[in-house]
Amino acid sequence: MLRVSKLRKTIEHHDIINDISFDWRPGEIVGLVGRNGVGKTTLFRTMTHQYVADQGTVAIDDHDLLAEPAYQRQLFFIDTQYNFLANYRLNELPDFYRLVYRDFDQARYRELLQRFNLHAGDQYRQLSKGMRALVNVILALTSNAPYIILDEPFDGLDVIVRENISTMVIDEVADQQKGFLISSHDLNELDGLSDRVLLLKDSRLAHDYNLEDVREKARKIQLVFKDKQIPDLLKQHSKLIRVSGRVLVVVFPAYTPELAAQLQALQPVLMEELPLTLEDLFRANLSQDTGYQMMK
Amino acid sequence: MNKQLFQLLWRHYRKRLIALGAISLLVIIGISLADAGTWVVKPGQRLLSDQVNQWMLYQFSNRGTVSLFSFWLLFVFWVGGFLLMNQDLKDHFNQFLFTSGYRRQTIYWAKLLLGLGVLLGITVMTTGVQYLVYWLKVPAGVTFNLAWPGMLASWGIGLANAVGMFAIFWFAALIVGQTGALIVTVSGFTLSVVGWANVWSEWIKMTPVQSEWFSALGWVVAALILFIWGSVLYARLSLEHNGEYLMFPGLKVPVYIVFVLYVTFLFSVNAGELAPGMTAFIISALFGYWWLWRPRFSRLRHRSDAD
Repeated sequence: MLRVSKLRKTIEHHDIINDISFDWRPGEIVGLVGRNGVGKTTLFRTMTHQYVADQGTVAIDDHDLLAEPAYQRQLFFIDTQYNFLANYRLNELPDFYRLVYRDFDQARYRELLQRFNLHAGDQYRQLSKGMRALVNVILALTSNAPYIILDEPFDGLDVIVRENISTMVIDEVADQQKGFLISSHDLNELDGLSDRVLLLKDSRLAHDYNLEDVREKARKIQLVFKDKQIPDLLKQHSKLIRVSGRVLVVVFPAYTPELAAQLQALQPVLMEELPLTLEDLFRANLSQDTGYQMMK
Repeated sequence: MNKQLFQLLWRHYRKRLIALGAISLLVIIGISLADAGTWVVKPGQRLLSDQVNQWMLYQFSNRGTVSLFSFWLLFVFWVGGFLLMNQDLKDHFNQFLFTSGYRRQTIYWAKLLLGLGVLLGITVMTTGVQYLVYWLKVPAGVTFNLAWPGMLASWGIGLANAVGMFAIFWFAALIVGQTGALIVTVSGFTLSVVGWANVWSEWIKMTPVQSEWFSALGWVVAALILFIWGSVLYARLSLEHNGEYLMFPGLKVPVYIVFVLYVTFLFSVNAGELAPGMTAFIISALFGYWWLWRPRFSRLRHRSDAD
């Protein structure tokens, strides 16, 4: 198990991440979401010791990575913004990774390059943004590290490649030997992949959602009431995620039969349950552009 | 030291080090041929003066230039420090190294050993070629009279100076995160140190032999201090400061004080009057403050880099 405990990183006297704690096990696909600038990449860079943490630890199987750095080889991360790959051809990259990741699978690396029509002789820097992201994912998968961090892996990829990558990631975790921590702005993609979602807000870990639990308890409901007045029941128990005329779309984080009965008692003109997505949770928790305060 | 770590480092540095070696070889051939052009010797004479039998650096005599340890190699070591430390920052190889599972200290000393080892190899190779060119260009009837004292002294003093040059750039590239500013800073500092060393050697009451060996010892001690200090800093290197002048914000005040005092001292020593020293103090104090504490630029950079 990888354990992040009270991790804090300050840059220029500002907390970029603060008091971040979570556990992550092989077999889990954990999503990391948060608005731009909230510190997702800083969290990854601090976890992998590119940034020296001001406080906190990262440990794998109770081995602190700072004290026992060899365990860091169980954690894979390619920084999409700053990496050394630009000067090398794709067929040169395994020369580096096999020296660090002992189980690096060169044959599979070549096979995946071929499968995605990537030419081994091409220089990394000459590739498009999407192709670079694809090479990063291929390196991650073939490293055979038990813990793999992917930072915006779907950024710039076409829908076919995205589906391929999603399938590969799901296949990789099937034997419970590998875990993924994936940050993405593509919440729909994460929705289909993740078992758990960590939500960063104001430099802190605001929520650690188990999506199965959330889907069991939470409901997304579309409502229309006769008058424009928002019932107090909604304000107290739900989060407004969309308004269109008198049509309200709300998320109830803890929906109960009692709440349903109370809602029915308000005699809405329309009351319809909609499928709850990760994007709805994101909007309900993070959006500042919608919410009941906007309707005052 | 870990064999795989050396393989990893060599795999990354080999192109630039081989290029440095190749350039060095070409330059040294040119220098050797130019040296041979200065020789004024007749058949029956010896190419080197009697100074070659003394324990001091042999560079030239009234018979012409014969450098037993070329000054060019000081430049090669100087550039070597830059290539090994600054380029890892700029091409983001540090990111990979820091996540590679090796201790920072192990990486640091392995890099240093590999770098100095390769530079020593370049030195042996290029100097060998230099001696070969000399030997081929020696006029008929003239003796190429190499002697151990001059030879060993030239290598010892030359290598000490070269390692010192390497250490200056190596250490500076560790703490300075801007390539242009780094080159300007180190060039200025190196030139001032060389100039100051010439002034200093005129002041002290030592023989030329003593002065050369004392200076060599000084370089070795300075290099050792910089290497050890560098290893301590390397273990604390946090890459969010990449692109800023100082990679370690905690060094701002010490760097500022050293800069102001050093510049003031240099101008005071050379001029021997109060006014230039005061002017240098005021200008360096103002410039240093402006250069090191430009909060607006720094904050803007981090705002875009925070995520």
